[in-house]
Amino acid sequence: MPLTDINLPLATWAFLAALGGLLAVDGVSVPQIMISRPLISATLGGAIMGNAAGGMLVGALLELLSMRHPPYGAAKYPDTGPAGLIAGAAYAEVGGGSLEGLVAALLVGWVLGWIGAYAGYGRRRINGRLTLASEFLAADPRRLERRHRLAIGMDVIRGILLTGGLLVPATLLVALIVLIPTTPTGTAIGATAVVTLLAASIGSAARTTAPDVRAWAMVLLGAVMVLTAIWARAW
Amino acid sequence: MEPRRRDLWQAWWRSFTVQGSWNYRTLVAPGVTYALLPLLRRIHSEEPERLQESVLRHLDSFNTHPYLSSLAVGALARLEFEGASDDEITRFRVALRGPLGTLGDRTVWAEWRPFCLLVSITLFGLGLNPLWCALVFLGVYNAGHLWIRVWGFRCGWQQGREVGRLLRAFPFQRFADRLWPVTMYLLGAATVLLGRAVVATADGGTSSRWLLFIAGLMVVPAFRWPNQFGRLAVGLLLTIPILWILLALTG
Repeated sequence: MPLTDINLPLATWAFLAALGGLLAVDGVSVPQIMISRPLISATLGGAIMGNAAGGMLVGALLELLSMRHPPYGAAKYPDTGPAGLIAGAAYAEVGGGSLEGLVAALLVGWVLGWIGAYAGYGRRRINGRLTLASEFLAADPRRLERRHRLAIGMDVIRGILLTGGLLVPATLLVALIVLIPTTPTGTAIGATAVVTLLAASIGSAARTTAPDVRAWAMVLLGAVMVLTAIWARAW
Repeated sequence: MEPRRRDLWQAWWRSFTVQGSWNYRTLVAPGVTYALLPLLRRIHSEEPERLQESVLRHLDSFNTHPYLSSLAVGALARLEFEGASDDEITRFRVALRGPLGTLGDRTVWAEWRPFCLLVSITLFGLGLNPLWCALVFLGVYNAGHLWIRVWGFRCGWQQGREVGRLLRAFPFQRFADRLWPVTMYLLGAATVLLGRAVVATADGGTSSRWLLFIAGLMVVPAFRWPNQFGRLAVGLLLTIPILWILLALTG
C-alpha cells in the first residue's frame, strides 16, 4: 500500500488514543479484567480499522510471545495493552494480510510493549514518592485517597500518550516494511523466522505453565490431532 | 462500630484498584489501605486517633496477588473490628503476604489465564469470529476472576484470622492445578492452527512441511532453554526486516 493511501482520520486516532488509556490502566492498575492482553487489544485495534481477524492473528502471536513473561511480583514484562492495540490497528490498516505486514506488526507490538513497560516503571517510582510519607497520609486519610486516584489517573494518561504518540510512527513503519520488495527467498526466511518465533514461544510458554516434561505428551497430542483433522479435510 | 453492607461493598469494589499506586518500596500497601478505608472509617468512627494509627500500620510494606487482595482486605478489616492489637495485626500481615502472592501467581497467572487464552486462540484458529473469541476469553476468564474476588472477600471478612486454614484448601487452586493437561493439549492445537495461518500469509512462498519440521526442531530446546530461545525469537523478529532490505538491495 502506498503511504499516501493510509487512512487514519483524526477522530479514529483520538478514539484509539483514548482506548489505549483504558487498556493501559487495565494492565496493572484497575480492574485487570484482561482487556489489556494483546489477544484482546490487537483484536480491538484490528476491528476498529476494519480487520478484526488480522488483528487477532497479530494478538495471538504476541500473546504467545509474552507468555514467558508472567507478571510475578516486580518482574519485568511488556505492557501489552497499548502495544497490541497499535500493532493490531497498524496490521489491519497497512499490513494487507501479508507476511511482511505480520512481521512488521509483531516487531512493532513487541518493541512498543517494552517502551510501555519502561514508562510503567517510571510511573511506579513516582507512585513511591506519592505514597511514601506514611505519617502525612495517615494524619488525613483523604490525602491517601487523592494520591491513589492520582496514580491511577497517571496510568491512564501514560496509555493515552503512548498510543496517541506512537500510533502514527508505528503505522508508517509497518507500511514501510511492507513496501520492501521481497524475493521468494526473503519470504521463506521471514516465514521460517515467524514459525521459529512461534515454536520458541510455545516451548517457553509450556515451561511456564506445565509442571514437567510430561506436558509434551499433551502438546504433541493436541498438535497431531489438529494436523490429522487438517489433512483429513484436505483429502 | 460494625461496618454496614455499603462499606463492605465499597471496600470490595476498591480492592479492584489495589495496584493503582504500586511502588517499589511498599508494594500494594497504599492500594490495600485505600480499599480498607471505608471499613476502617466505620470501625474507628468514634476514635479518630485509632483510625490514624490503623492507616499508618497498613501503609507499611505489603504484597498480595491483586485478585486475592479482597481476602486480605476482608481479613484485616475483621481483625481491626475485633480490636486485635497492633502487634497481632502486624504479624498477621507478614504471615499473609507470602501465601497470597504465590498462590495467586501459581493459580491465576500460571494456570487459569493461559488456559482461557488458549481456548480463545484455538477457537480463532478453528474459524470462529474473532470478536466472539475475544468475548469467550473475557467471559470465561472473568468468571473465575470474579469468583476469586467474591470468595476471598467473604472468607476474609467472615473468618478473619482463620483465613490461613482456608488458603491451604483454596478451592480454585485444586481446580486450576488439574487444568495443565488441557492447557498443554490446547497449546499443541493452537500452535498448528496459528502456524497454518502464518503460512497462509506467505502466499504460497514457502513449504509448510519444511516449516513444520523447523518448528518441531525448535520447540523442544525452547522448552529446555526458554529464556535463550525466547531471546532468539525476538532477535529474529528484529533482524528479518534488515535482512529483507539487504536481499532487496542485492537483487
